[in-house]
Amino acid sequence: MTIRFEEVEHTADRALRIYGRDLADLFGNATAGINSLMLAVSPEDSGCVTKNIELEAVDAEGLLVAWLSELAFWAETESLLFNQIDFIELSPARLRAVVRGVPVQALDKHVKAVTFHNLAIDRRPEGLVVTVVFDV
Amino acid sequence: MLHIRDLRRIDAYLYEIPPSFRPDMRVPARFYADETLIENILGDRSLEQLVNTATLPGVVNHVLAMPDMHQGYGFPIGGVVATALPDGVISPGGVGYDINCGVRLLASQIDVEAIRPHLDDLATMLYANCPSGVGKGGPVKLAAGELDQVMEKGARWAIQRGFGSAADLERTEEEGCLSGADAEKVSARARDRGKGQIGTLGAGNHFIEVDAVDRVVDEAVARRIGLFAGQVVVQIHCGSRGLGHQVCTDYVSLFQKAVRKYGIDLPDRELVCAPLSSLEGGDYLAAMKAAANYAFANRQVLAHHIRRSFEQVLAGKLKHYHLFQIYDIAHNMAKVESHRVGERLVELCVHRKGATRAFGPGSDVLPPVYRDIGQPVLVPGSMGTASWVLVGTEGGMSQTFGSTCHGAGRTMSRHQAKRSVQGPALRRELEAGGIRVRAGSMAGLAEEAPAAYKDVDRVVDVVHGAGLARRVARLTPLAVIKG
Repeated sequence: MTIRFEEVEHTADRALRIYGRDLADLFGNATAGINSLMLAVSPEDSGCVTKNIELEAVDAEGLLVAWLSELAFWAETESLLFNQIDFIELSPARLRAVVRGVPVQALDKHVKAVTFHNLAIDRRPEGLVVTVVFDV
Repeated sequence: MLHIRDLRRIDAYLYEIPPSFRPDMRVPARFYADETLIENILGDRSLEQLVNTATLPGVVNHVLAMPDMHQGYGFPIGGVVATALPDGVISPGGVGYDINCGVRLLASQIDVEAIRPHLDDLATMLYANCPSGVGKGGPVKLAAGELDQVMEKGARWAIQRGFGSAADLERTEEEGCLSGADAEKVSARARDRGKGQIGTLGAGNHFIEVDAVDRVVDEAVARRIGLFAGQVVVQIHCGSRGLGHQVCTDYVSLFQKAVRKYGIDLPDRELVCAPLSSLEGGDYLAAMKAAANYAFANRQVLAHHIRRSFEQVLAGKLKHYHLFQIYDIAHNMAKVESHRVGERLVELCVHRKGATRAFGPGSDVLPPVYRDIGQPVLVPGSMGTASWVLVGTEGGMSQTFGSTCHGAGRTMSRHQAKRSVQGPALRRELEAGGIRVRAGSMAGLAEEAPAAYKDVDRVVDVVHGAGLARRVARLTPLAVIKG
């Protein structure tokens, strides 16, 4: 089974090492990862709430932070977890997507922030790897 | 990772990493520790993070870390870094996401033995009246435009709304309001996150704690502050909630472009910064102040809920249930302050991330009531252990830009804490020790287990021994309220 993400130790916060075949796969697995921090058991229901997301950043790392921050924002403010993503456009500095998700009754944890700490997407022959530190 | 051989020991508690350690360091890196704490410090990446802060443009003297330091992101937790105006930089990561996370200490005239029969009811009432936990909003509803008032007036807004009295302001850092806050520099998204959270505790390591003054070390200063042995006091530890988190997120993102614009090269993108003289730097400072004022207002409202809880439980049963304020401090902040650099008084931007301002006697920014004894410093320990009240010293002013530690400092990750400690078992252990626990999340409780933190007595010994702050009184918990 392909590992989508795994937790790595961090003294005060949470850190996930995330894998992906390409940028879309990486962003999808990062979504699953941040969802796992916010709710231990991710909802399996197909999404009934839809949002359009459009983001820009200076580079792919910035875009990943912006993407995950967007998901954290909707979780905190509207108790929504998104688990289906259709990328309309995804380049290193810009994305447009339609996300589908479900409202959840209560989250286990809010992600206060997604950090840029030591953030660098590593491009390997087998795919992409990045470690993201989350302030919880 | 650094090794002990990379360190130069200056005295019993002070170590230095010289700028020769790495070519991009502009100044030395110094930290305070004893021989036990240094083992923890060398075990994570906090020293590497401290070295990284020594690369910031405009940094002066040396970068510093307190003995409760531990790995964070960007700056280490426990970091103190000063940059010289006008062109020295300000770094949102040097303040942290929880802008003006801080501590307020309230005190009663009640003796601990008198309150024991009422502790269960008091803990339950505090838990009911002080909203806590993930996703929990508060009962305080803001009118249209009122959030701007919160951000620009801070604790004064809360008092105008009837939460507490003006007497609280004198005993609050910056009198509960930083001037120069600009709500216009705070994004709509930050407002969305913060508008429903005023007067709430949040979760994680935030808490309300009823304590007893376990030991008075400095009788004269304790008397002046209003503390006595056996006294019942209450700590509040929380910050600017989602509003502050989003302000930091917004500006860390914005500054990814600013560093390119100003030609600033950094070893870690979380250190992004801009000159304080720039538009970007000025905007962040104004937004940071707005978020800081939100946090002062937040603690003011929580203090009101706590006073109400004491009244509801104790009126008619105990005299003197009213709570007065000792002090309120910030431990995630950047401030423009004047400090001596060499022979000159220089205006500096002092970043304290997981570090507390601790101005010494004679400082004219202190309220008259404390000016001759130094600023009270509130150092919460881990849950179930102890906390400390200190005062600032002249030694701290000359060594650390008037700064000291902020708490016990973590040694164990949250992940590991949850694997090693079971929340229900920890709760039973605390209650067996006489500590009432009201917590919304057993997983959250496990993450905050005392075993995950350093020994706060040891941390305080170091700052006292190094002359950064002086011990006044030690507090031990009677009841812990957490989200």
